[in-house]
Amino acid sequence: MASELEGYINHTVTVFTCEGRIIVGTMKGFDQTINLILEDSHERVYSTTGVEQVTLGLYIVRGDNVALVGEVDEEVDKKIDFTEIHVEPMGAVVH
Amino acid sequence: MLPLSLLRTAVNHPMLVELKNGETYNGHLVNCDNWMNINLREVICTSREGDKFWKMPECYIRGSTIKYLRIPDEIIDMVKEEAQRPRGDGRGRGRGGRGGGRGEICLNSSLYNSHSE
Amino acid sequence: MSQPSKDLGSGSQAKPKKESILDLSKYIDRAIRVKFTGGREVSGVLKGFDPLVNLVLDGCIEYVRDPDDNFKLTDDERQLGLVVCRGTSVVLICPHDGMESIANPFIQSAD
Repeated sequence: MASELEGYINHTVTVFTCEGRIIVGTMKGFDQTINLILEDSHERVYSTTGVEQVTLGLYIVRGDNVALVGEVDEEVDKKIDFTEIHVEPMGAVVH
Repeated sequence: MLPLSLLRTAVNHPMLVELKNGETYNGHLVNCDNWMNINLREVICTSREGDKFWKMPECYIRGSTIKYLRIPDEIIDMVKEEAQRPRGDGRGRGRGGRGGGRGEICLNSSLYNSHSE
Repeated sequence: MSQPSKDLGSGSQAKPKKESILDLSKYIDRAIRVKFTGGREVSGVLKGFDPLVNLVLDGCIEYVRDPDDNFKLTDDERQLGLVVCRGTSVVLICPHDGMESIANPFIQSAD
């Protein structure tokens, strides 16, 4: 079972959940159902008043709840000035 | 590392479980299975709005209703021993090195008719 | 006699089946609280169960929910009597005794 996710192991990833939350952390593992292990994770809460980063720590995200997994380019990520981002939060996935 | 290996390692440790219905459960993990069903003890349940709280001595939660589990950071360092559960190469667990593809199921079933292993 | 074709079909996790982590027998003739997908909540005396967690509850009470919010309980109850609960929709099971509403137990630095 060679999953594309294998290449993300020990990399910083961003996970969009089905409820529209965005979690950033180091992916330490996954399984066939896309359950994920995220280490040193934090949530990025986007809003029109600014971005709040909430520390979450070690998280298992159940695969049912994962809408998207993306690799983070840490160089680019570091350059983001979150104080300048004012956006509507994402909506939930509509089933 | 498999998420369920991490969860198994977290037995007897405190954790926070958020369900799809929005409720959160704080408790110590008693045990878990391959479906992520879990038993917790000394549980505090928080309502979806975060305004009501219940305590319960123990509870069983169906894995498929879980959204996230928040686990103490140190657990990930304890999991190393059983990082990968023993398994084949993912396909072809046919007996005697045979097997794998769909066609071979037919082959095996004909073998099964002709002799038993 | 081994059955290779079946073995293949069941995938790579042909481990010996452990017994369920849920021991419902300890709840027999005791009141339990059950939550279901969709938000329904009941309590009743467990009279029977099967490995799929289908339940037989006697003297069952449903906790009536807010008509506008399927996940918000009201103080109303309604008597259901003897019911069979479908295991696939069970979200949570806990003993009814010992479950109690409490004040916010999480320390909060500010109001």
